[in-house]
This record gives sequence, structure tokens and C-alpha cells, in this order.
Amino acid sequence: MAEEVPRRWRDPELLVKALPTVILQTTCFLAPLVMTFLLTFQRSRNFQLQWTWDLWTWTDIFSKPHYWTILLHTVFMAVACVAICLVIAFPVAYGLATRFKAWENEIKVLITFAFITDATLKIYGWALFLDKNGMANYLLGSLGLSPEIVAFLFTDWATLLGMVYSLLAFAIFTLYLSISNIDRSLILAAYDAGAGKLRAHWEVTLPLCKPGIWAGSVLIFLLSVGAFLEPKVLGGGKSPMSAELIRQTFETRVNWPLGAALTLMLMVVSVFIVLLFSRLIGLKRAGLAS
Amino acid sequence: MTAILDISDVRKTYGSYAALKGVSLSVNQGEFIALVGPSGCGKTTLLKQIAGFEDPDSGHIAIAGADMAGVPAAKRPTSMVFQKLALFPHMTIAENIGFPLKLRQKSPTEIKKRVGEMIELMQLKTEYLTRYPRQLSGGEQQRVALARSMVSEPKLLLLDEPLSALDVKLKKVLQAELKRLHRSVGVTFVHVTHDLEEAMMLADRICVMRDGAILQLGTPGDIYYRPAGSFVAGFIGETNLVPITVTKRGEVGIDYRSADVSDADGRIAARLVAGNVGEGAAQLMLRPELLRVLPPGETADGVIEAEVVEMFGKGGTVQYRARSASGLALVVEIPGTSSLPMRIGDKVRLGFAKKDIYVFRAEA
Repeated sequence: MAEEVPRRWRDPELLVKALPTVILQTTCFLAPLVMTFLLTFQRSRNFQLQWTWDLWTWTDIFSKPHYWTILLHTVFMAVACVAICLVIAFPVAYGLATRFKAWENEIKVLITFAFITDATLKIYGWALFLDKNGMANYLLGSLGLSPEIVAFLFTDWATLLGMVYSLLAFAIFTLYLSISNIDRSLILAAYDAGAGKLRAHWEVTLPLCKPGIWAGSVLIFLLSVGAFLEPKVLGGGKSPMSAELIRQTFETRVNWPLGAALTLMLMVVSVFIVLLFSRLIGLKRAGLAS
Repeated sequence: MTAILDISDVRKTYGSYAALKGVSLSVNQGEFIALVGPSGCGKTTLLKQIAGFEDPDSGHIAIAGADMAGVPAAKRPTSMVFQKLALFPHMTIAENIGFPLKLRQKSPTEIKKRVGEMIELMQLKTEYLTRYPRQLSGGEQQRVALARSMVSEPKLLLLDEPLSALDVKLKKVLQAELKRLHRSVGVTFVHVTHDLEEAMMLADRICVMRDGAILQLGTPGDIYYRPAGSFVAGFIGETNLVPITVTKRGEVGIDYRSADVSDADGRIAARLVAGNVGEGAAQLMLRPELLRVLPPGETADGVIEAEVVEMFGKGGTVQYRARSASGLALVVEIPGTSSLPMRIGDKVRLGFAKKDIYVFRAEA
């Protein structure tokens, strides 16, 4: 580890060097955030913003359980998405890092292509595929199965499918990096000490993947909390998630103060959950985080 | 003495590359054996077959009389100290050392007791127990790795160049430590190294390997003074190889002649001649410290006339490089306190005693 040189924050050189970042962060991140916060104290009447400076919006939010139900639903969907992504991505990443060394690059390129294809295109593709008259139903029907799948599109399951599909690559790549960074002799050492394959996996590979699992989880959680396309197209807008609610509030209802308040609510809750989990997992204690 | 490890005709091929070309080796209970050779000689491959990380293509490995074919690494009575130590970074020192016992379902109190014993044996501080490997120095990590390997009381301790990454001073300390450890626990050690000097210091027997085969197996003395060929001879320290022609190979010895050596009887006793020497070209080996600078009027069993071309002080000794009339380069090492200081350009007579030489076949 490199020695950290203690420097006073008033060091003029340091201040000048930090200036571009500070300006960028202030104008592009902090200022909009403050403006959003200030917006929540106004009101909207007849699609007009009125500078009232009161707590009407916040009272509204805290008195109607509807918003909180949607938020809870969003968080639940995001957590489910993270869990499913990890379960699918782990074997894929593990295979990529250890078994299919010869095809590693080809597979990575394919995953990347699937990943960077336009999200709208992919989601509508899924909608067409899962549609009542779509391919999936046709195939299942010809196999002699009941038309149960008809009900699949426009449910939470379809939304979840779309979210997992869009975000899976984040989990695969972060886990892949973690796994391929594990020194092979550590696994051999575990075998040598008397561990079977499963035990070595549980005692050595998994704990050493913790940073990767964590990084992937945070990325996917934050991105799925903000997902709006999937619940709209695949979920049919029947059980909206926070991002869709916020979009509607801004665009359809043209209620900017409420939209701003809902945005802040989502941000605060997401950040709180991430912090809570990082405390629970305790990366620092394991000596793995830098 | 019984053989704890019996390797017979083990072969291993990676693709088209033959890493082990039929290696046979028998190691006795409690012995310290070193596998030495340049990189790519197959020494680490052999160790992997013994540990059970890989299976040989053919041949047998038996440990304590039991055939190891199909026995996974986890079930073998062996333990490995890895080149990169392979301490688990997410476990504390206590967890690392106790890991093999935990896998053997020992009770926490017993694990704690055994870990404490190992810490004491390795002369580590008890406050390290709660630290993580990266918080320890290289030498301390080394001791932890050793402790982890010994805690399960293996029949065979396999060491895969564990000292190669350390600086010279620390290396010396840990070499002494290894020797002490071997003596105190009585476990059989198989130590892989590319450093023959290290092998000489530590091992009871040395197995010199090259290109997947064993060149020579013998005591450090054998390897140093009676090497099987110029490769083994040149592998440690410096040596003088004088080309000679064997004119007659007999029961009691050989007759020879050489452009460089003046020898009254031109005979060398059979015990100083390798078995593979026949009539024709051979090499006479002379270790630099066994060559003497002859004062005027004195003579020796064999004498080589040469001119001093270079000299190096080495502290306790001085090394001279000389060249004979035929152009043969020679190295002589004499005590720094010698009463016969030489200067570059001096003509000298270098003498040797017949008992100090060894003859082996010239290699192409």
C-alpha cells in the first residue's frame, strides 16, 4: 500500500488541482440537486408552477400510502433483480474465468453486443416475443401446453425478466473480474488443506468474490430502482415503479414539485439501503476493500 | 529405513511437451530431499503429481506404502508450501493456520490449542493471530504458511520454492529455520528449488533434474565433488573443466593425456572416475578452491602452467582467473592471507592433488 501523504486542505496547489472537479460536480450534480430540493416547497396549479414556499407537497407524500406502496414495490423489484442477476451471473462468470479460457474473448464480445444494443429495441423485442400472439405462446401452444403464458406479459414477472436481461452484463463482468483475479494457488491451497471442491468454493472463492458481488449488486440495484422502460412496456404500466411514477408526475400531470419530492424520496431510500447493506456485509473488516 | 515416498517411472505430458520423462525416486522417512534444476526441468511438475493437483500420465506414486492413483489432493497425507505462499487474504492468521483443522472437523478448543502450538513452533508473536496476512512482513507470512502446512501433521511436507521471493538476508534466516524445523518435527521434506546452494545447505540428498529427467541423485558431497557431468558440475559455484583424452580404461583406473596438465604417471584411480567414462574425450573437474599456487621448486600430483589474467577480491578469499598455454580458462580461489600474492601477467604453476579431482564424460 502506498503511503498517504497528509496534506492540508488549504494547500493552494491542491485547491487549484481540485478546481475542475469541484466546478463540474457543483454545476452538474450539486446545483440540480439543490434546485430539485427547493422545487419541493412550491405548488402546481393548473399546470403552472407557483412559488408558494410551503410544505404542501411533503404533507401530501407523507399522508398518502400510495406513493410508499410504489416505492416499496420498486425496492422489492430491484432487490429481486439483484438476486436473480447474481444467481445467473455467478456460474457464467465462473465458467468464463476458469473453464472456457479459449473462447473467453468471443464470449465477452457477444455479451457486450447484447448489452450495448439499444434498450428500447431489446424491451420491445421481448414484448413481441411474449405477446399473446407472439413466438413464446406459439411455441408453447404447439408443444401442447396450456395458454397460461398469455398471462405472462404485463405482469411483474415480465418486468423482472426485462430488468434482469438489461442489467445482467453488469453482474457478469464485475464477478468475472473478481473471479479471474483470484490467485489459482489459493484454490490449490484449499484443496491441499483438505477441502473438497464445494468447500473450497464456499470458504475461498466466494469470500474473495465479495468485492465483485458487492460492486455488481450496487450497480444493478441503483439502475433497477431507476428502471422505467421495463415496467411500462413489459409490465404494461399496471403496477408502476417509482421511476415511471416520477416520469408521469413530471410529464403527464405536470406537477413538478411532487415529481421533485418523489425523486428525492427515491434517492434517499436507495442510498440508505446501499449504506445499510455495505455495513451489514462489512467489506472493511474482511480486509478486502481498499 | 522405510520409504515414505516411492515414485516409479512417472511420466507427464502437456500437449506435445514432455514435462516428466519417466522419473523414479524413493524418499526415506524423515529425510530432507531437494529437487533442483533450472526452470522447466520438471521439478515443480513432479511436486504437483505428489501433491495430487495433477495425475501422472503413467507411472506410480505411493506415499507410506499406499498407492495414490485417483486420490485427490484433499485426501493425501501431504501438505504444500506454495511459492506465492497462498495465504487466504480474507482470513486472519489464526483462521489461516487453523483452516486444515477446521476442515477436519476438530473442535474450536483443539484448533485454538494447536494453532497456539504452531505459533510457538514458528516463533511468531501471539498478537499476530488476529491480524490479516497483508499486515505481516514477507518473512512472517512465510512462517505462517509453514505453520498452516504443518498443523495437520502431514507425512510429507512439499515446499515449492517458498524462499525464492525473499531477499538474501531473510532467505538465510529462513533456511536456518527450515533446517531447525525439519530436525525438530521429523517430517519428511521435499523441497523444490532452482538454487543448488540452498539445496546443499538444507538437504540430506539432492536430486538434480533437467528436461524432465533425473540427472543425479546423491548427497550434497556427491553432487559437489563427484557430479554426474558438466551440467551438474556447473550448476553450483564455479568449476574448472579440463579436457583430457582417456587412452586406456582399466579395472583400477584410467590412463590419460592432456595438453594442459603435466602429470608424472598419467593415471587416475577408478574411484575418481564416473562410470560412464570410456576411452576418448573426457573432462577433468577441479574445484577452484582445490587448486594451489605452487611456490618455485615445489610440485604436485598434477601441474598446470598458466598466466594470471584477472583477479577479484572476495573478502576472505581472492579469486584469480588464469589462462593456460592452450587457451584454457581457469579459476583459482586462494585465501586472502596467502603468502603468494600474484599480479596480472604473472606466470604461475597451479597444482592439484589427485584425490581432489573427478573425471566424467565430455558432453556434446
